[in-house]
Amino acid sequence: METEEQARNRFQSELEFVQCLANPNYLNFLAQRGYLRERPFINYLKYLLYWKEPEYAKFLKYPHCLHMLELLQYEHFRKELVNAQCAKFIDEQQLLHWQHYSRKRTRLQQALAEQQQAPQQPPPHGNAAAK
Amino acid sequence: MAAVADKSTKERLVSVVDDLEVLSRELIEMLALSRAQKLPQPGEDTQILELLVQRDKEFQELMGVAQQQGKVHQEMQLLEKEVEKRDSDIQQLQKQLKEAEHILATAVYQAKEKLKTIEKARKGSISSEEIIKYAHRISASNAVCAPLNWVPGDPRRPYPTDLEMRSGMLGHMANLPSNGVNGHLPGDALAAGRLPDVLAPHYPWQSSDVSVGMLPPHHGNDFALEPPGHNKENEDDVEAMSTDSSSSSSDSD
Repeated sequence: METEEQARNRFQSELEFVQCLANPNYLNFLAQRGYLRERPFINYLKYLLYWKEPEYAKFLKYPHCLHMLELLQYEHFRKELVNAQCAKFIDEQQLLHWQHYSRKRTRLQQALAEQQQAPQQPPPHGNAAAK
Repeated sequence: MAAVADKSTKERLVSVVDDLEVLSRELIEMLALSRAQKLPQPGEDTQILELLVQRDKEFQELMGVAQQQGKVHQEMQLLEKEVEKRDSDIQQLQKQLKEAEHILATAVYQAKEKLKTIEKARKGSISSEEIIKYAHRISASNAVCAPLNWVPGDPRRPYPTDLEMRSGMLGHMANLPSNGVNGHLPGDALAAGRLPDVLAPHYPWQSSDVSVGMLPPHHGNDFALEPPGHNKENEDDVEAMSTDSSSSSSDSD
């Protein structure tokens, strides 16, 4: 049985490891060294799915790792990761998605700003007319 | 009663009628004979007459029995009709019951599904405040949304970079030979022309202060076995990964 100290350390290391899975280059590294073919490792990946629960997920800083973890449950994906092009493709897509998100946000903010400006214009005219 | 069983009334009637026919024929023959010659046997005509009378009596009895049987048969037919009617009533009822059962089963099934989804929704309910707090955290650190001034060449990424990985607990467990000072890598960070903002070896994504009370789920299994094995934690896979001396630094710059 592990002590609480050991359990906390295990929590820390599992937290770090699961987030490392968000890095496609690291995944490629693991694939090329054959880790993704080992049964204990595959079972470990399945065990790590507990990070999807809300009480654990709230500690994740890089949520992309959860998607990668889900994909890693499939053998086809694990096999494909051996190719460097595959990892590169994933990396590019991740970056594009990452940037797309900020563009989407700025657009939303702009739209919101425009909406707020429009209703503010009529009242000054109304006041002028009342005078 | 056994005698009644082995010959039907019809057969008996027929046989009696046959007997009568035979007897009357004999009588007529005798009478015809007695015209031509003297009576051969004096007692025979009385015998025949007696038999005739007997047979006639039997005949009458049997007719009476046949009439009664006819009445009984009619009653039986009436009762059969009643039975048929009741039968069809029961079948109708059965059909209706089956229909009702089907409808109820569907209703119960749908209700159960609804309850399941309600339970699922209730289980997954999180306070909106927590969700907003979390959303702020992952956005503020640029983990899901790129920083507005990001250009290709910027080393920041939506995942932990080499540097961050090595500075964490896993990295330290591996006792890596330092490729720079304090975890700075001469390659990726400086090539971009700018150092990452957070140089401290302890990154918020490792969150050791936030997670003081949190423990991982207990896994008594040995990961090498498919079904749950005995209580033996498998630290081997964690250490094997950390003891690798260099992770691939194929940068995506």
